[in-house]
Amino acid sequence: MNKQLTMRQVVFMYLFISLSPVLRQIPSMLAREAGRGGYLSPFWSVFAILPLTAGILLLIRSFPGLNLYEIMVHLSGRVFAKFITLLYIFWILISLSAKLNIYSLTLQFTLMPKTRSDFFMQIILILVYYALLRGSKTIFRFSEFALGPIILLIGVLFVCAVGRLRTDYLFPMSTINFPSTIRASKAVIAVGGNLTLILFFADKLGIALSKKQIRRLWSGSIIFIFISFVITIFTYGITGAALTANLPFPFYITVKSISFFNIFERFEVLVTLICILSDFVTICIMFIILMRLIQWLFGIRERGFLFLPLAIISYYLSYIVSSTQFEFDYFFRFIILNINLVFQYIIPVFFGLLCILKRKHIKQQY
Amino acid sequence: MIYVFGGLLLITFIKEKDELLKKKRNICLFLLLSVIGLALGIVRMIYPYIPSIVYTLEKHMK
Repeated sequence: MNKQLTMRQVVFMYLFISLSPVLRQIPSMLAREAGRGGYLSPFWSVFAILPLTAGILLLIRSFPGLNLYEIMVHLSGRVFAKFITLLYIFWILISLSAKLNIYSLTLQFTLMPKTRSDFFMQIILILVYYALLRGSKTIFRFSEFALGPIILLIGVLFVCAVGRLRTDYLFPMSTINFPSTIRASKAVIAVGGNLTLILFFADKLGIALSKKQIRRLWSGSIIFIFISFVITIFTYGITGAALTANLPFPFYITVKSISFFNIFERFEVLVTLICILSDFVTICIMFIILMRLIQWLFGIRERGFLFLPLAIISYYLSYIVSSTQFEFDYFFRFIILNINLVFQYIIPVFFGLLCILKRKHIKQQY
Repeated sequence: MIYVFGGLLLITFIKEKDELLKKKRNICLFLLLSVIGLALGIVRMIYPYIPSIVYTLEKHMK
């Protein structure tokens, strides 16, 4: 086991892959579920995302230098761990197909409506193959390098948009709206649960976590909640909750109306670019995780030959799972969100509880 | 596209031959995943407008 990744890279990867759902799906999901008060939902997600962060830290600190599979083997035995790994393979395959689908739909919706989705998918698969040839570290480094300018760009957009924010789209709020905002926070929680993916790379983080690394993980989850809040306020304040609920990509439409002191405009292309980069990194990470899961399940050493068959499966599966924007919206809202909650929260929490129960035994081992 | 994928699988097999033939498990896994992928491709080629899983679910959940 060698230390290949830093906590900073892993946290940046988490924020980077969460960007596209935050820009694309969260505002419309919140508007549909909670109406005008939807921008309060990111605050409620604190009560799920922060305990999840604590749980992940507990697992990493209790089993230093081990990945999710090895942790599961220690806590529940090999057979159960393999079964859970198999379930994770199905989850990642479905998520990967959905991601390929929404990536091509985004490009069709925003920039190239006359180009067929096959073309976009084939191009991304070639790019992902090329990126994976360079090793997983390249993808983490790419996230680390690209996230800063993107956050800066979102900050600039927000500053430009402040003058256009309409308070009558955001207020008045009533306590009657609170229950619906709590229910709607499921969307933010399901996306924020990407933090669990860190466990798949926990063996590359080194043996001991320093205080600085722990602080980074906490700040990553807080930054995610803050970004979700800012993007939602931004979208609601300019487009309004009613319109946001009915648009497939409300943030894109919102940014269309922004100009930088009437000098620069048409920033929406940059929003598409951010989503495409985020999707690219997500697809790369999902392929890495998928190949690692298969490696763990079948106990194989080399995984290079797995990419092409998996790429073929996910390519065709993306057509079979959902093919239009409406179908994808339905799929995301009713299936992906719920499945994410199971794999990102329920299973890690279950192992976290097992870890607490078996704490004495674990302490004897290490 | 399926022919391209088929060709690429063949190239991968030739390229990774040593690794694949080193262990039975490797070749079995490669063949299994390739067959699943190609089967999905054939389904897509024969029925290009087959209703998606989400469409079927949506219809039944309403």
